Amino acid sequence: METSKFLNWVKEYGWRHLIALIFVTFAVYPILFVATNSIADFANLTNSKLIPDGLTLKHYKLLSSDPLVPYFKWLYNTYKVALIAAFFNVFLGTLAAYAFSRLQFKGRRASLLTLVIVQMFPSFLAFVAIYLLFFQISDIAPFMGLGTHIGLILVYLGGSIGFNSWLIKGFMDTISPSLDEAAKVDGATDFQIFRRIIAPLSRPILVVIFVITFIGIYSDFILAAIFLKDKNLWTVAVGINTVFIDDFNADWGVIAASSVIAATPIAVLFIFFQKQITGGLTAGSVKG
Amino acid sequence: MIYLSMTLSKIFRYTLLAIFNALIVYAVPLALTFESWFFLSLILVIGILVNIVYFTDRFQPMKWILPGMIFMLSFVVFPAVYNTYVSFTNWSTGHILTKTQAIGVLEDRVFTPDDQKGLEFEMYILQDLDLNFYYVANLDSENILFGKAVSDDEIFSTSYATHEPSLFINGEFSTPDGYYQLSGKEQIANSTTLQELSLVIDKNTRAQLYKISVFGASTGRLTSTSQLYTYDEMNDALFNNATNTLCPVVKDNFECEGKEIEPGWRVYVGGENYSKLFSSQRIRGPLGVVTKWTFQFALLSVIFSFAVGLLLSMILNKDGLKFQRIYRAVFILPYAIPAFVSALVWKGLLNPDYGVINSWLGPLYEMLDIEPVKWLKTKESARSAVLLVNTWLGFPYMFLITTGALQSIPKELIEAAKVDGATGIQSFWRITFPLLMVSISPLLIGSFAFNFNNFTLIFLLSGGGPPIIGSEVSVGWTDILISFTYKLAISGGRGNLFGLASSVTIIIFALVLIISAISFRYTKRLERIYGNI
Repeated sequence: METSKFLNWVKEYGWRHLIALIFVTFAVYPILFVATNSIADFANLTNSKLIPDGLTLKHYKLLSSDPLVPYFKWLYNTYKVALIAAFFNVFLGTLAAYAFSRLQFKGRRASLLTLVIVQMFPSFLAFVAIYLLFFQISDIAPFMGLGTHIGLILVYLGGSIGFNSWLIKGFMDTISPSLDEAAKVDGATDFQIFRRIIAPLSRPILVVIFVITFIGIYSDFILAAIFLKDKNLWTVAVGINTVFIDDFNADWGVIAASSVIAATPIAVLFIFFQKQITGGLTAGSVKG
Repeated sequence: MIYLSMTLSKIFRYTLLAIFNALIVYAVPLALTFESWFFLSLILVIGILVNIVYFTDRFQPMKWILPGMIFMLSFVVFPAVYNTYVSFTNWSTGHILTKTQAIGVLEDRVFTPDDQKGLEFEMYILQDLDLNFYYVANLDSENILFGKAVSDDEIFSTSYATHEPSLFINGEFSTPDGYYQLSGKEQIANSTTLQELSLVIDKNTRAQLYKISVFGASTGRLTSTSQLYTYDEMNDALFNNATNTLCPVVKDNFECEGKEIEPGWRVYVGGENYSKLFSSQRIRGPLGVVTKWTFQFALLSVIFSFAVGLLLSMILNKDGLKFQRIYRAVFILPYAIPAFVSALVWKGLLNPDYGVINSWLGPLYEMLDIEPVKWLKTKESARSAVLLVNTWLGFPYMFLITTGALQSIPKELIEAAKVDGATGIQSFWRITFPLLMVSISPLLIGSFAFNFNNFTLIFLLSGGGPPIIGSEVSVGWTDILISFTYKLAISGGRGNLFGLASSVTIIIFALVLIISAISFRYTKRLERIYGNI
């Protein structure tokens, strides 16, 4: 009786747990490997022990003190560029979305469609042209040319503003027009309606778009790699590539520590906003 | 009060516009000097748009849209157009400059005429603590010149030699503090370097080491230089003053007696880049390999991660299963980590000699008595590794979307099939799967398009390698089109082939366009977009 009950459980649930556990291992192993190596006293690539012999923070300390690897400078650069670019991206996107959602004008549908079609092509595809364009801008205005953060921010701004304003517009459409009509009757200008009614009510989507854009820029490699040549101006994505040397002699503990610092904030943000990032409209705009 | 605020906002608006226009006025002549025609037209278009929209009140909605639009125009639309233009030029290392700029560079070149048997004098060779060479030229007791000895490249950036009579005390040379005087033997040992160096006295005069003497001071000689090339506008040719020959333009270079003069300049070359892509055997071959692999990589990545994601969501889609929430949380993790970190970590794990994967597989290799797999070092292992890692990166997304889609399939349908005698497998393939595909296929196409250009993974994991031997350009077995373009343009080791790279980009554009068209055709995406317009 007992065995048949067990067999029944295996048939109903047991095998599901087995397969699930196999894939739990697959999913988690590399992550745990890096996490434990970053605090293991003796860290190397071959060390397959997930529970280290001795715990230490020395790799993190080493990472912050190595003058040849300005890791925290890279981290600062990344946050700076991504926060500024994401902010202006959402700000300008919101302005445009307001016009598309609330103002009637000729060519509205056509320009919206153009926006969507243009953004089907990831902006980094034309990286050769972007490189050459900023190569020339360097002659004319060096402060925003190749190798500068300002230039990189400008490129990121162009990258997703169209798609973002389209998404924000979709949300604004769901805000009842009776609100702003009432305000209009009371003599409010477009700008007042935007500032006092539409923008505050759109806050949920604005936060989500801001987070998505931030994560996207934080994780960008190709544009940052062609743009930034000076080691001190690199973003984490560009810099960390030079830290990673899969050599036996490489200090794998430091490498693991740098991965943990780079990944953790994004992972936390991502899990927190997971539903919105993967849900419906926004699907595939960051990763996929 | 209202009137006042109106005026204030007007003042604000006009101030901003004034600053903006000042910038435009500043940039236009610069763009003209650097002959950046495309850039110039971009500035003008933006300048005119901004002024029309904000000076008049006729285009009210545009006031909201224009700021964002400017960035999209400048950094998305414009680069796409510019990219097309570049693909019809020879823009590459050696052909970076415009013709005017190239002529400017060439006219700065100098030479020393043969017939100049300049004055000879005593030379002393010094070296400072950084091992830079310095010359002291004792022309006569009135003219003792001292300065850094520089190569031809540095001549225009260095300062002229200075008169330093204090270096001689009672007619005897004394080495100044912080310098070391080279003996004759040491001069001979360094003679190759010293031959290239000269002391710059003025614009056209230099002092060079002429004869090294083992005893006593060496001999220097004055040489005066003249301009090597003069541009002859009438013939559109370069006149070589050293050989008295005319060097005519041959396509994108001046050519002196059959030899190309570097640098050349960029010119319109028509479809040359495209015909190179398709006719040059040593480029066409690799391009074919890369294109085929790009499709395989994107398709297999979608299939594998979809298969794993679907399997997991099917398994967890069972009432009463314990730990469901924990499983779900764990399966999302690989997706939450930035891809650039994951790719690099996997690269470490896969290291054939020290990586943990091979040390895990060690017993298996021994059991089967085979050589350990050289992950990422051979074509097959690199391709498998790239797909394995991309499955790891991609299955959580597939798991999430299939979980959502499965839950929206009405349970009654499956129950009804069961009542009619369908097996579990039958009802999966006949009911669940087709219904799933209806809602998920647009997302799968989106995922395909994303992986089609998944530069970060390829570049950071395998670097596109291992290299394809015998190809004219640098390219590897796991390179996809976008990483191939990157190698052509930025890091190929054969200089920057911007023109050729741009023509590959145009191919990617065309393919992305086709993929999107298919996605519009076979899914409801267009209707969804129209719904939001």
